[in-house]
Amino acid sequence: MSVLEVRDLAIRFGGLQALQGLNLEVNEYEIVGLIGPNGAGKTTAFNCITGFYQPNTGSVSYRGRDVTKAPPHVKAAMGFGRTFQNVGMVKSATAIDNLKTAQHAKAGYDVLSGLVGTSLTSRRERELTAKADAILDLLGLQHIRDKRVGGQSYGTLKLLELGCALATDPDILLLDEPTSGMGPDESDELGDRLLTLRREFALTMLVIEHHVPLVLRVCDHVYVLNFGRLLAEGKPSVIQTHPEVVAAYLGGEAPEALEQTQETEEDAELDRLTGQAAQHHDNPSIAAPELVEPEPSGPARRRRAAAASAAAGSAEERLRPKKRAPRKRPATTEEDESA
Amino acid sequence: MSVVEERADAPAAEQGQAPRTGRQFGPIRWVPRLMVMGALAYVFLYRIPQDDGGAAAIAADACIYAIVGISLNILIGHTGQLSLGHNGFFGIGAFAAAYSLTVRDVPFALTFVIAGLVGALFALVMGLVALRITGLYLALITLVFALTLEESLFEVEWLTNAGGGQPADRPEWLIDDANFFYFCLAFLVVAVYIDYRLLASKTGRALLALKENERVAEAFGINVTAFKLIAFVLSGTLAGVAGALLAYRIGLVTASGLGFNLALTFVLMTVVGGLGSRLGVVLGASLFASLSFLLEETWMHSVQEFLVGLASFGSEGAKANLEQYAVGFLGALGLLLTIVQFPGGIGQQFRAFFDWTFGKPFDVHALLHPQDDGPGAVEGSSVRA
Repeated sequence: MSVLEVRDLAIRFGGLQALQGLNLEVNEYEIVGLIGPNGAGKTTAFNCITGFYQPNTGSVSYRGRDVTKAPPHVKAAMGFGRTFQNVGMVKSATAIDNLKTAQHAKAGYDVLSGLVGTSLTSRRERELTAKADAILDLLGLQHIRDKRVGGQSYGTLKLLELGCALATDPDILLLDEPTSGMGPDESDELGDRLLTLRREFALTMLVIEHHVPLVLRVCDHVYVLNFGRLLAEGKPSVIQTHPEVVAAYLGGEAPEALEQTQETEEDAELDRLTGQAAQHHDNPSIAAPELVEPEPSGPARRRRAAAASAAAGSAEERLRPKKRAPRKRPATTEEDESA
Repeated sequence: MSVVEERADAPAAEQGQAPRTGRQFGPIRWVPRLMVMGALAYVFLYRIPQDDGGAAAIAADACIYAIVGISLNILIGHTGQLSLGHNGFFGIGAFAAAYSLTVRDVPFALTFVIAGLVGALFALVMGLVALRITGLYLALITLVFALTLEESLFEVEWLTNAGGGQPADRPEWLIDDANFFYFCLAFLVVAVYIDYRLLASKTGRALLALKENERVAEAFGINVTAFKLIAFVLSGTLAGVAGALLAYRIGLVTASGLGFNLALTFVLMTVVGGLGSRLGVVLGASLFASLSFLLEETWMHSVQEFLVGLASFGSEGAKANLEQYAVGFLGALGLLLTIVQFPGGIGQQFRAFFDWTFGKPFDVHALLHPQDDGPGAVEGSSVRA
């Protein structure tokens, strides 16, 4: 049984469809990568999975249980450990206190006995401190033990945040860009660390990451998001050469995407001048409605199918790279109409 | 006023904020420290309570204010929820105690439980509001809440003895002001202990986390809703009990003494004392509780007389005005100094002496550069920015 299974997840913020038809699956002991260009919806997906956002449709199940509606703190207690894109910690507290705060759900005593100060409380507090110290040792951060977190360097903070996520005693760890703010060497080191952590804590991980070498090295499976849809999925080595992924990231054109979406600056300019830009830019209804998902038969098959349809859909809709490749311009019927 | 007892209960409990220098034990080191402790104990436990000039009653006030200070500090300092309505919880506690004792013949000891429960209940309602509203708007809501209480519940006939005030007579053994001071001091010790335990346990860490960043708190598995409510309930309970003490302190509870001025004093004394600092809040509360007494009855009176004389340029009217508002003026000055120069408040200034008294080496750095460290450092820097 998969640890985490996301089905048909969709969320909309006002006019923006941030996620649509997202399916993903994380199996026991896997490190799964979630990649995609900026604004692809990766962090939104994290927020939906960990309960910070309520998806409009779709479901999130954890070890076979539907946990879509569970609030974040319940999920944290359940075993969802997560980090944030821009460091989620209590900045005015010390490193050791942050690690103790993160063990909140596993503190093992209630508020009242904490206020009274029973022997159980003091014993548990000692244990929490010992565990926090162990994590500091593990990450080599013992030297900032009693320093305020706020003043530390970004790389240190990211590492300590990973420690905090570990301190919540997670079953599945969701890491949002763990290497941001780190140099290449530190990133490599982090890769080793993630593999070690997986081995020692028997962890399952879902990682948002931009650092390609790291993804290639540690991930067992990679999902690629673009414009809120699943663009592709597969083994990292396959994904690396996947034409659409390359297109989405580097602005090269995917061969099959060319037909529908190629559009030059001249066209954009022309559209703007003639005021017809809105026609096919902002109209979500262009998203291929005839692409019906095949009937599900087993999660893997479903997953593949959904990915395929999403990829096809997004290609048809608006796979619009940030930078354009050298021009080759086959005209499409749609653009002929607007021109 | 009652620092000595508080100290006995809070041994170096500041959550590892200070650098881990460790205590330096050794018999010789303790000689000056014991002398200081002895002097403080003499002044606060004997000299003031046994004073003929009414200092004992003021000292009891100081204890009561200090309990309110700790209650307010739990909300503002630890949880980051500004309350301008603490006179409401305080007053409802006072009325509840007086009413249950005088009208319902509830045993004396039980009236404190009732006052605490009623305070907690009202605070819970406020907490439910605070779940939806934060910051300035919450402050306004709490303000309106207290004003409404003042105009409605505090005017109800059966509760206020038809507007004449609800009597609350102390039992025989507490009629002496000195005894009553010790009684209040015992309550303060309990309140300080609760605050100490709060910070030393997961609850305090949870409150700090949710104060800084609710999303992070949730990711750490903290039920933000529940812990906000816990903070409100705890704060309301303490304020209610303090209200009961006030009822017995003055013997007749009327709405007139429980107005918005009181709420303002409470917030002022907590902020000037030093948000987040137990020592500072107790000192600040004691100062504000006794300030008018000090200015009237002690050597400070002549200082005040002199300064007011200078400032009023011989005009009698101006002089009377200045004397009347001296306390308010000093409070405002204290607030200004706290915000601009000493974000840690009074607690920051006394931290080095306090730590020294209990065995740590004297930390000159902490005294001279309070901004670098200490409970108020982070808030202070944001004020400066």
